[in-house]
Parts: sequence; structure tokens; C-alpha cells
Amino acid sequence: MNKKKIYPQWFLLVPLALYILFFLLPAFMGVGYSFTDWNSRSVLNGLNFVGLQNYIEIFTSDKDYLSGIGHTLMFTVVSNIVKMIPALLIAIMLQEGLRGKGIYRTLFYLPSILPFVIIGLLFKSILNYNNGLLNMILDAFHLGFLKQKWLSDLGVVWKSVLGVDAWRGIGYVMTIFLAGLNTIPRSYYEAAQIDGASFWQRLRYVTIPMLTGAIMINMVFGITYGLKVFDIIYVLTNGGPGHATEVLTTYAFQLYSKGQYGMSTALSSILLLITAIAGVFVVRTLGKQEVQQ
Amino acid sequence: MKKRALALAISAAMAASMTTGVTVAAENTDFAGEELSILVSAGWMDNRYDATIERFEDEYGVTVDLQTIPADQYSDLLQSKLATDSCADIFWIQSNPFAIASVIVDPEKYCIDFTGASWEEKIPEARRAACTYDGKLYGLQMWHNSPEYVMLYNKTLFEENGWSVPTNYEELKSLCAEIQDTGITPWFMPGADGWQHQLTFFQIGGVYEEATPGLYDALNNNEATFADNEKMLEVLNEFKEFSDLGYFGEDWIGTDSTNMANEFGDRNCAMAVANSSFIKQIKEDTGTEDEFGLFLEPFGDNTWFPASPAGPTMFGYNGSEHPELVKEFFNFVTTTESLQEILDNSPAYTNIHVNDDAVEQHWLPEEEEFMASIPEEKMSVSVLQNGTKYTNDYWMDFGQDMVSFCQGEMEANDVLANMDTNRAEAAKTAGDPAWN
Repeated sequence: MNKKKIYPQWFLLVPLALYILFFLLPAFMGVGYSFTDWNSRSVLNGLNFVGLQNYIEIFTSDKDYLSGIGHTLMFTVVSNIVKMIPALLIAIMLQEGLRGKGIYRTLFYLPSILPFVIIGLLFKSILNYNNGLLNMILDAFHLGFLKQKWLSDLGVVWKSVLGVDAWRGIGYVMTIFLAGLNTIPRSYYEAAQIDGASFWQRLRYVTIPMLTGAIMINMVFGITYGLKVFDIIYVLTNGGPGHATEVLTTYAFQLYSKGQYGMSTALSSILLLITAIAGVFVVRTLGKQEVQQ
Repeated sequence: MKKRALALAISAAMAASMTTGVTVAAENTDFAGEELSILVSAGWMDNRYDATIERFEDEYGVTVDLQTIPADQYSDLLQSKLATDSCADIFWIQSNPFAIASVIVDPEKYCIDFTGASWEEKIPEARRAACTYDGKLYGLQMWHNSPEYVMLYNKTLFEENGWSVPTNYEELKSLCAEIQDTGITPWFMPGADGWQHQLTFFQIGGVYEEATPGLYDALNNNEATFADNEKMLEVLNEFKEFSDLGYFGEDWIGTDSTNMANEFGDRNCAMAVANSSFIKQIKEDTGTEDEFGLFLEPFGDNTWFPASPAGPTMFGYNGSEHPELVKEFFNFVTTTESLQEILDNSPAYTNIHVNDDAVEQHWLPEEEEFMASIPEEKMSVSVLQNGTKYTNDYWMDFGQDMVSFCQGEMEANDVLANMDTNRAEAAKTAGDPAWN
């Protein structure tokens, strides 16, 4: 027994039991249900094991669930990029002693505490083609050629969704980076400056290596958020125009609401698998890098 | 002596009146402090129930929590609430003769049985099938009987420009080209609502039945499909042609109906698919002096009236903690006073279709003129979504597919084939013998 431990192991029992009961068990039950024909009539007709039928349906159906999976992966990658790079630069800028940085920090963080419903209402109004604020401003500055059908043009709608998501999420990512930046000793930068390192060299050889922990946290949060994205899409486009912005979760929600629970849980199980693989991969990769440093 | 007798009489009268008062108060305070929740899609109750709900709250000492959900999210949300046994005390569905079985699925589990309720007789015979299942009364449908979702046009604008009401597709197309040349949007199409644009396809069910006699029965018996139906393909292609030509406006897919009355009032648009009673709303909301009229939607060279004994219908949730209060609410809203109040408080209503002669209806002359212009035999086919099983359940999906088709992401026949796939899935879930 390790006498240095402050708390006994049985302290773990209650949270572990709660975690198993409310997280692991439902997840495994969901996977189990995905192999059945569970639907809104099951209360009357019973539940039957159907093997891989739901999964086969997902990968062969005319409904194009595959594009939903593709959209989910694309959103995960792009939303992380468009949030993390600006968030890192803003965090460095605010760390460098900018005047009024407290106010800026608050302003940047503010959108991330707004409910998605409010953001949806706000941006649906701002991005309206005919009388939205954005197009009106463009018109007022004689930039009418830049006007877009922000939420109904197939070539623009994803950019709009990702833009709104970045607006909401950058502040949160930035806060984690700020916490990480605070742990880097000033002397490292001073030494680098004495050696004649430029801003980009300091960023490349001091900041980023020392921020591995914060980057890992942001990536894990960002990837899990991106893979299970639902709210921002639901409130802005509801999967449209047509099916252009459907993701795994919107399809799963639609199937569930149509009473096709088995199919819905099969889609959710695919999401669970992708999330688990991505999560383990990121943690292992970045964990190794941290050890090497 | 006389004074004593008078005093006694007055005292007795006072005591009697107090007793009566106490009795009434006791009846109505049985529910005091309770909260009644109502889950409804936007547009089904609006402000027209506000005064009635307020009276109900005052009279019963309760609070009504009205949860109005955007139309494009309502169906999904309701199904989730029912599936997770967390529904509001009262919920609404867009009901038709097949809807209770296909939308609610298990009415015995989810709905309060109102069989024998005092208000049963107030529901017109034609609407009862949408409120009953297996001989039991579950729903209350109080909807208007005006022409639903036909073409509404600015009559004054038409007269000023010498435009004639089109009677077939080619005439409509030419007319729209002329209107577009004046800078006015020919046909206001609120695609962002998610539920309106597909009305153009479904409200003309008569043309599909006329082109393929017996189609409705065949669709209900799984002996016909939407896919490869030539008339349906023709209508979808006409819709896309209008979309491509810009006759629905620059961004109909991103436009919702919030501003529709103003668009008419400001003469920014000339036509739209709307309820006849919307005329009243345009006039009241915008104060326009223009006159409006109605005509049949000409897609597919349609000549059929969209007959539809269906509409938003109210159900009591069986899992409610206040079943008696729910019953009281249903009783309350079906009194003559409440019915009149609901009708009078609705700018979009000219009538309420109930069996109650004491209710004073407000039919518009335009409605009466339009109805008189349509032969009786052209009113005999129900709209497609309410005349065929499992179709209305996939209303939103079909609308999404129509948008994808208009944006070149799908073929017309795939839109129809998806409806077949969805209906088959619903039929399989329902254990419909025609599909199994």
C-alpha cells in the first residue's frame, strides 16, 4: 500500500458508481439497442434482435447518412482550426500586456456563455439575405457585391455556420491558452530575446512546446465538441438548406423523433466509436510529445 | 313585524348568495396553484387563445405554461417528449384520419380518453375521424373551414396592370414573367419555414387522382408509389422551373413567412399560397386599401379545390399530473363564450368550424365568392397529405428534399422515392399489413 496517498481508494467508489450508472451503462445499452429493431411500436410489438441490419441500412441507404458522417468529420477538423489558431494569437496578444486586456478578455469570452438558442435567433436575423444586418451594412458601404445568401447558398452556408461557431467558441479556447501561457516562465522569453529570436521563433520554440498541455486540452475538447455538434446547426440551419448541413447528430435526432430508435442508436454508436478512437489517438499522440519534451 | 320579516328575507337571501358564492369558489379552487403546460407548434394557437387562457387562469387560480415551438422543430420535439414520457399536459398534432395512429402511435398510452365528453358533439362529423381512434375520442379539433392554402393575390394590383388570373401552368408562367419585369416578386415563397413550400405539391391532390384514378387507394394499399408518377414529376419540375427563374424571389429558401403580410401590404409581392383568412390579416396588419382575391393553384394545370377535414388538434397527455385540470381546460375552451373569443381574437380566422350556432362567424366576401366559383365535384378529393397514409408524417423531410432538388443536389424522382421509402418505414413500424 502506498502510504503517501492522501485519500483512500474507496473515495473513488461513489463517483465511479455514478459514472458507470449514468454514463457507461447508457452508452453500452445504446450500443446494444443498435442491434435491435427498437421503434415507437416496440411497446406493442416487442423488441427483436436484427444483427447488423441498422448499420447496413446506414451505409447503403438512399438517405445519404454517409454525407452526414462526412460533414461531421469536416466540421470537427475545420472548426478546430478556425478556433484554435486565432484563439492562440489573441491569447498571446492579451498576455503581452495590451492596454485594457481585462476588458478584451471579457469581451472575447462573452459569446461562449450565450445559449445556443439566442445565438441562433441572433445570427439568423443578422444573416438574413433580404433584411439582415450584415447585408445591410455591406450595402451601406457600397459593398453590395459581397452580399451573400449566408444561410441558403450551398457554397456559403458551411462558412457561415463555422464562422458563427468560431465567434462563439474562440473566447473559451483563448481562456485555456491564457491559463497555459501564464505557466511559461518569463525568463525563457528573455533568454530567447537575448539570443536574438524573433516573435515567430519564440512562438515556434518556446510558446508552442510549453503549451502542449493546453493544446491537448483544447484539441480533446474541440474534437469531442465537433464530433457531437448539434445545437449550432440545429438553431442556424436545422440541417438545411435541403440536407446540406446535416451531421450525424441531426440525423440521429430525426430518426429518434420518427420513432426509429434502433437506427438512431446505431448512428449514435458510430459517433461513439469515432469519438473514442479520435480521443484516444489525440491523447496518446500529444501525451508522447509531452513526455519527449 | 314587517321589518323583521324583511330583515329575515334579506338575511336569508344574503346567506343563500354567500353559499352559492362559496360553492362556485370551491369548485374553481380545486385546482388552485396547479400549473397546466401546453406544447404547441407556432401558428396553431398564436394570440387568439391568450384571452381565453387568461380567463381560465383567473377562474381556476392556475397558471398555464404555453410552450410554443418553432414549426420546423415541433414534430421532432413532440416525438422525443412522448418517447421519453416527459410530455406537457396538453399537446397538439397536425391531425387527419390517419394521424393518431401514425404520429401518436399508441394513443391508449399517451392520450386521455375523452369519450363521452360534453364537447364531443361540437366537433363536426367531417372532423371526428381526425380526433378518434378505435372508437375512442382523444382529440379536439377546432379549426377554420376557409379555403386552405390556395393562391392569394393582390386583386387591385392585378387590375391596375391588366393581369388576368391564370387557370393553367402556362398562363401562370407568363403572368409571373410579366410581374417580375415590374420589379415585384411574383410569388412569395417562405422556404425557410420548412413547411410551407411543399404545400404547392400536396394541396393539389385532385390532379394526381384525376391523372391516375384510384391513386389514393392504391397508395394506401401499397399498390402504387410516388416515384415514377408522371403528374407528380411534372409538378416538381414546374416548381423547380419557377425557383430557377426567380419567380419565388431572390432567396426564397432563406426567407420565412414573418414578413409576409407586410410584403403584400407594401406591394413587394403579388401572390402567395395562403389561407383565405390571411386577407383579413394583411389588411389589419398593414392598413392597405388594396383588395385581394383567391384562385386555385395552377401547377399541374390543377382545377381541384384542396378539400381537407384536418387541422391542428389538441390532445390531453395521459401521463399528466393534472388529468382533471386538463379535462376542465377542454371543457372551458369549448364553451360558446370561449369559441367566440378565440374566433374574435384571431386576425387570421374568419370562422371556426364547430357545431355551435350561437357562435357568430365572420366569413369574408372573397371567401364566399371563391367557394361559389368552384363546382361541387371539384371539392371531392382530399389533399394528398391527408388522403394518403403516412404521407403527412414526412412533411418536413419532403420539404427538405424539394429544396435539395431545387439546388441541384437531388433528382425529382429521388424526392418521390424518398417519400416511398419513408412511408414504407412508417408502415413497417406501424405493422401495416399492406406493407408486411
